[in-house]
Amino acid sequence: MDERDLIARARAGEPAAERALYDAHVDRVYRLAYRLAGDDDLARDFTQETFIRAFQRLDTFRGDSRLATWLHAITTTVALNGLRKVKRFRTRETALEAADGVAANKRTAEPDLKTRLRDAIDALPEKYRLVVVMHDVEGYTHEEIATALDVEVGTSKAQLSRARAKLRAALADFAGEWVS
Amino acid sequence: MSDDRFEQLLREAAQDYHRPPATPREEMWARIDAERRRQRAAPRVVGLRPGWRWGLGMAAILLLGIAIGRWIRPAPLTDAPALAPSAARGARSDLGYRLAAAQYLTRTETLLTGFRADARAGQLDSQFVAQARDLLSSTRLLLDSPAGRDARLKSLLEDLELVLAQIALLPAVRDSADVELITQGMDQSSVLTRLRTANPAGPAPVGVQGAL
Repeated sequence: MDERDLIARARAGEPAAERALYDAHVDRVYRLAYRLAGDDDLARDFTQETFIRAFQRLDTFRGDSRLATWLHAITTTVALNGLRKVKRFRTRETALEAADGVAANKRTAEPDLKTRLRDAIDALPEKYRLVVVMHDVEGYTHEEIATALDVEVGTSKAQLSRARAKLRAALADFAGEWVS
Repeated sequence: MSDDRFEQLLREAAQDYHRPPATPREEMWARIDAERRRQRAAPRVVGLRPGWRWGLGMAAILLLGIAIGRWIRPAPLTDAPALAPSAARGARSDLGYRLAAAQYLTRTETLLTGFRADARAGQLDSQFVAQARDLLSSTRLLLDSPAGRDARLKSLLEDLELVLAQIALLPAVRDSADVELITQGMDQSSVLTRLRTANPAGPAPVGVQGAL
C-alpha cells in the first residue's frame, strides 16, 4: 500500500496503519537511536518515544520531505535530549564533551584501533558526532541529514569535514597501522 | 595517508561503532501500542508542546509581574469592586497547576532516566534517594490538586508515586535485586515512555515541520 494512504489512515486513527508505518520504518529508527545511544535500553526508549510522538503529531507532517526523514529528525531530537539527561548523572563521562576535543592520549590504554575510533567518535562535540554517525556510519546523504537536522547541506558537509579532521588528529598516532 | 584512504578506512571501522543488535520489534511495538491505546482512551489535558511551554513560561512571568504589582500597589482609597471574574481566576489557577506539573514531570523524568542508567551500570548514587523523597511529596500534592483530575495524568502520577516510593525507601546498603525490581517495574509500566510523552522535550536543537 502507498505510504500516503497509510499516513492518511493513521491520521484517521487506524491502529493497523500505525503498525504498518512502524514496520516500514522501525529498523532505521532503532539503528539510528542505538548508534547514538550505544545502549539497548535507551535505544528502545528513544525508538518508542519517536513513534509515539510521530503518531501523535502526524497531522503536522506536511509531506515536504519523506516520512523517513521526518521520523529521523524526531529520533535525533529525542535521542540527544535523552542522552543529555543521562549524562547529567554520569559524572564519570563529563570529560567527553567538556574539552570539545577528542581522546588523543590513550595510546597505551586502548591499543585497539576500533576501540580508539569509538572513543574518538564518542568524544566529538555533539553536532559533529551526529553527522559522523548519520553519514559515515549509517550512510545518510548530506541532503537527508540537512533535512533531518534542519540545516543547510553545506553545514552538514562542513561539520563532517571538521569531525573527520578531529578524528584524524585523534588517531594520528595510528597512522602507520591504518596504512598497513 | 591520503584523505580518501583515511575516509575509506574510517567508514569501514565506523561500522562497528555502537553496532546495533537485531531490532526488538515486537517488544517495542507492545509498548507503543499500549501507550497509543491509553492516549486514544483518555483526552489529552496537559498540553505541553515545546511552543506552548514557552508560551506558558511567558504567561507565568506575566502573571507573576501582575501579582507582584498588585501586591506592592498602595491600597485604594475607596472600596473597589472585584476586577477579575471567577473564570479568569480559574484559568490562572489552572495555568499554575500545569506549570507545576510540567516542572515536576521534567524533574522526575531526569531522575528516573539517570536512575535507570546508573542502575544498569551498577553505580547508584545516594542522591537519587534524596531526590525521590522530594519528588514523592510533590507527587502527592499534585495528585490532590486539580491536575490530578485528569485521568491520564492521574494514572501516570500514581505509577510515578509507586516508583519514587520504592527509590526513596532504598536502604543505604542496597541489594542489586531491589534496584532491579524497581527498574523492571519501570519497564513494565512504561513509565519513562509515558513521562516523555506527557512532557515532550523543550526547544529542540533540530527541527522540521513542527515535529519537534
